[in-house]
Amino acid sequence: MKLPKVRELLEAIKSLSHKPYTSKFPFKPYQPYLSFRGQPKYDPDKCLGCLACEEICPAEAIAHQDNIKGDVPKRIMIHYTDSCIFCGCCEDACIADHEGIKLSNDWELSFFNRAEAFETIEKELQLCEICGSAIACKDHLKWIAEKIGELSFSNPTLYQSRLKSLGVVDESILAASRDYGRADRIKILCARCRRETSLTTAASPAGEKVGE
Amino acid sequence: MQKSVISIGPFHPLQEEPEHFLLTVEGETVVDVDVEIGYNHRGIEKLSERRNFDQATFVIERICGICSTSHPVAYTRAVEDIIPVVVPERAQYIRTIIAEGERIHSHLLWYGLAGHFLGYNTVYMWMWRLREEILDVMEILSGNRNNYAMFKPGGVRRDINADDIPVALKKIDSIIPTIDRLKKAILDDPVLHARLKGIGILSKEEAINYCALGPTSRASGVDRDVRKNAPYEAYDKVDWDMIVTDSGDVWGKAVVRLLEIYESIKIMKTCLQQIPSGEIDLKLKSIPPGEGIGAHEAPRGETFHYVRSDGTNRPVRHKVRAPSFMNLPTCKATVPGSTISDAAIILASIDPCYCCTERMAVRSPEGDRIYTGKDLIRMSREKTAKIKREMGIP
Repeated sequence: MKLPKVRELLEAIKSLSHKPYTSKFPFKPYQPYLSFRGQPKYDPDKCLGCLACEEICPAEAIAHQDNIKGDVPKRIMIHYTDSCIFCGCCEDACIADHEGIKLSNDWELSFFNRAEAFETIEKELQLCEICGSAIACKDHLKWIAEKIGELSFSNPTLYQSRLKSLGVVDESILAASRDYGRADRIKILCARCRRETSLTTAASPAGEKVGE
Repeated sequence: MQKSVISIGPFHPLQEEPEHFLLTVEGETVVDVDVEIGYNHRGIEKLSERRNFDQATFVIERICGICSTSHPVAYTRAVEDIIPVVVPERAQYIRTIIAEGERIHSHLLWYGLAGHFLGYNTVYMWMWRLREEILDVMEILSGNRNNYAMFKPGGVRRDINADDIPVALKKIDSIIPTIDRLKKAILDDPVLHARLKGIGILSKEEAINYCALGPTSRASGVDRDVRKNAPYEAYDKVDWDMIVTDSGDVWGKAVVRLLEIYESIKIMKTCLQQIPSGEIDLKLKSIPPGEGIGAHEAPRGETFHYVRSDGTNRPVRHKVRAPSFMNLPTCKATVPGSTISDAAIILASIDPCYCCTERMAVRSPEGDRIYTGKDLIRMSREKTAKIKREMGIP
């Protein structure tokens, strides 16, 4: 009966000289440990816009919007901060050496309005040269072309994307042969148009137009 | 004497979660107790059937905020049981470390709440302060205080950095003296002895008959622990003891939990020290058709998952049996005969977790409507306006 009281007394005396355990939070910012999983952030230069993160996200916190109207067609990658669960799947799935989207140490994520709880980056889209629909982001096509090396010459969309970025292709030659037939096969095309140009050259006489 | 029924809940300031207790009392003595659950049904089993095997882990993790390791471990073991495969040794150690960290913080949390129920708010403050230290250790090891996102079928998702291990070990060592001090303070306290000893006794036979699990059964002398009975992960590679007492009362459950904290610290430290190097993930490509079961000793007892696969990339059936579901009915044996003032701590002594027990309730079918306070006020005002219109009042 006495021992606990003595211990309590000792504890009380010791506590006199102790600092409070609580931190002075709003005045002194909290620094999380290095391995902390905070808000994922896109790197606009390294992200390829390949949508692997959107595909894998278990919370459906990543979405995209393709704006093909306007001068420069853009893909907007949206990360919803409110539904993100900070699991790091996006970083694991990122094809750009896990650097296109990276978990940061950022943890102060409060919002007054839930509708504002998102972050975006913009990536330039490559459009099909016949139908004008989105194929993929330019950086993504370039990345694939570089990844598969010389094999990319079997796919005009890939090697054209790569050569264009190097400034090698003479655009006027391609523009002159706009006949939606055999010559179109070396243009940058979406999968549907590629199939249609192939079928045209196989079944119908050259030069016949394919519906857009 | 006239019998009357006291209804506690479903929403009650004493409780953290929605549950409904009906205490039938004669004077001050409780003669019967009834529990109604089902207020916290979230549809997680169905949700996990809509996700693929990897993504379902994250839904399962959110069954409960405290058991955010137990359910994923049981689930991943169930999925691995379908193939079947054994995960790499390093992954086993990482799983064990995270699981034991969770057990420590869960038991500390229970202690805090028990102290709070009994009017020992100092215990509450101290235990939750200690829990912060353990949560910091978990943040160092896994990157988050809770919801560790470490598990995936076939291994673990994140590796533990070699640089982080000494930091974590130092932090664990630093809390042991404080736990020692609290252990003495709790075990020596005459008031706690008087308050907890001999109330809510669950005899060994009743514990077996009610299929009690975890600390609830171990306090009644039933040596039931998945970690010892059917060793998995790294539990057979480290040295630890199963804590069993035979008093069966609330005091026994408290002692079991207190001593289990020490065992968990021991397991965690040993694992961190002798963690082998190597692969952490089997990189499973597909799950064949079949069914599998997985069990894990959660802080509250054995949690059990059943997963059936038809060869596609998502489970066709997923069943979760949480430990509280088995422990909750034991209140039929423990509460009658006690006074109303003891009923709260007896009900709390099984460490019930209702969000583990009930798992369903999906957002609206469209999945895109979130009602804020403003919306509710607006809807209420619109209804008033509508009634006014119908009654012809301007």
